[in-house]
Amino acid sequence: MKKTILLRIALLLVAMLSAPQVWAAHDESEPFDAKETIFGHLLDNYGWEVPFSHHNRIPLPIIVCDNNGDWSLFSSHRVMHGEEYNGYFIPAEGEFKGKIVTRDAQGNIYRPIDISITKNVMALFIATALLCLCFIPMARWYRKHPNGAPRKWWGFMEMIIDMIYKDLIKPILRDDAKRYAPYLLTAFFFIFFINILGLMVIFPAGANLSGNIAVTLVLALCTFLVVNLTGTKHYWKDMFWPEVPMWMKCPIPLMPVIELFGAITKPVALMIRLFANMMGGHLIVLVLISLIFIFGTMGTAVLAGTTVLSVAFSLFMNLLDVLISFIQAYVFTILSTIFISLARIHGEGEKEHAK
Amino acid sequence: MELFTPEFGLVFWMFLVFAILFVILAKYAWPVILKSVDARADLIDKGVTYAQEAKSQLEHATENAQALIAEAQQKQLEILREAAQAKTQIIEEARKAATVEAKKIMDAAAVSIEQARKESEMQFRQQVSEFALQVAGRLMRKELSDDKKQIELADKLLTDIENKN
Repeated sequence: MKKTILLRIALLLVAMLSAPQVWAAHDESEPFDAKETIFGHLLDNYGWEVPFSHHNRIPLPIIVCDNNGDWSLFSSHRVMHGEEYNGYFIPAEGEFKGKIVTRDAQGNIYRPIDISITKNVMALFIATALLCLCFIPMARWYRKHPNGAPRKWWGFMEMIIDMIYKDLIKPILRDDAKRYAPYLLTAFFFIFFINILGLMVIFPAGANLSGNIAVTLVLALCTFLVVNLTGTKHYWKDMFWPEVPMWMKCPIPLMPVIELFGAITKPVALMIRLFANMMGGHLIVLVLISLIFIFGTMGTAVLAGTTVLSVAFSLFMNLLDVLISFIQAYVFTILSTIFISLARIHGEGEKEHAK
Repeated sequence: MELFTPEFGLVFWMFLVFAILFVILAKYAWPVILKSVDARADLIDKGVTYAQEAKSQLEHATENAQALIAEAQQKQLEILREAAQAKTQIIEEARKAATVEAKKIMDAAAVSIEQARKESEMQFRQQVSEFALQVAGRLMRKELSDDKKQIELADKLLTDIENKN
């Protein structure tokens, strides 16, 4: 047993040491651009890269609408290597670098309305499908086995659901827990799934979805909508007409402005926190891996040393990211729950009445 | 910087997909799962309370049984004592009744003996007076003709003699 483990580690080291050399030999002509590579991985793409080949990508559909209101749908491999298709192309330089653009009648380049199924959108679909595949059969199982306890994977999922619901949602929201649990659980598992999928590097996973500000923006916006659309009368009264001295609210609405600002900063904080944490995690791993290629030009000894160090550190970072994936999903959920509970306040009289 | 500007296409898809996901899971998954987990937890709680109650009841049952046995033994002793008492009482009563009956019989016997004695005395007297009259008649047949008066006289004489004795 021990022998095989040692053998595996040795093989892994050999692979680690040889891979960059292969890479270096292969791409001797063009120097390694760390920034390009890192941002290429962090940002969205019109295709999905496949392992061991940077030139071939899995083509994804591009859906665009130009200024004339004409919709176009075509495969991304048609515009992959600077080619032009129906006037659409992806510039390698300039303001719209890496984005699909077209020209208007005067020949000016502009971005059309772009709702392409990009790598991130595809990853979004995959994550959603996985969530549905996980929880709908689970619900069916529960329906078939009343009072049954699921085993293995569903048992694990049930443990997490139970933890989120009983330890987080219920103590904070109390009577409202049942009403908000579906949103909060969906948000938690969505974030958790996309975080974990983002850490797996090969095709069906590997998109930096939760490290994309558009995704976290929508999630924060959803929480903002849930908080403000279901807020009680007292929440709105406290916002626009709080019980403070008159001069603080009447001629200049000082308190209302502060309160309103607070209501907006809460979801913004949610958005930035999740985005920055996940993006940061990906960035660090990418930088550590890039170090191998940066130092790769300095000779074999340096290359070997950096490789071992980088792989060790990025392995550590990846493990840390697994933890962060869970913690960030948990934090997003707990903060959403708290924001909802803050908007579900009741007046003193009402509270007394309720008791 | 591109990293910090949300892309419209992704925002659009994200919103759409997340809304659909929420609707699907909120309708088909979460309520069922949460309800089942709650129901199961309730069932387990109930089972535990039931088991505890059953256990305590069992303990109580043995206690009760022992108490019952002790009580039964007590009762048995009491009954035995009562029975013993009743026995002696019955015997006593029977004895009393027997004495009373015996006394009655004795009394009756005494009375009849007395009667018999009186009767026999009477007979004896009659015979004696007859004998005396016969004797006297034989002695002086002519003077003493009225038999009846003579018997009475003889009887009177005999009573005198008896009283003298």
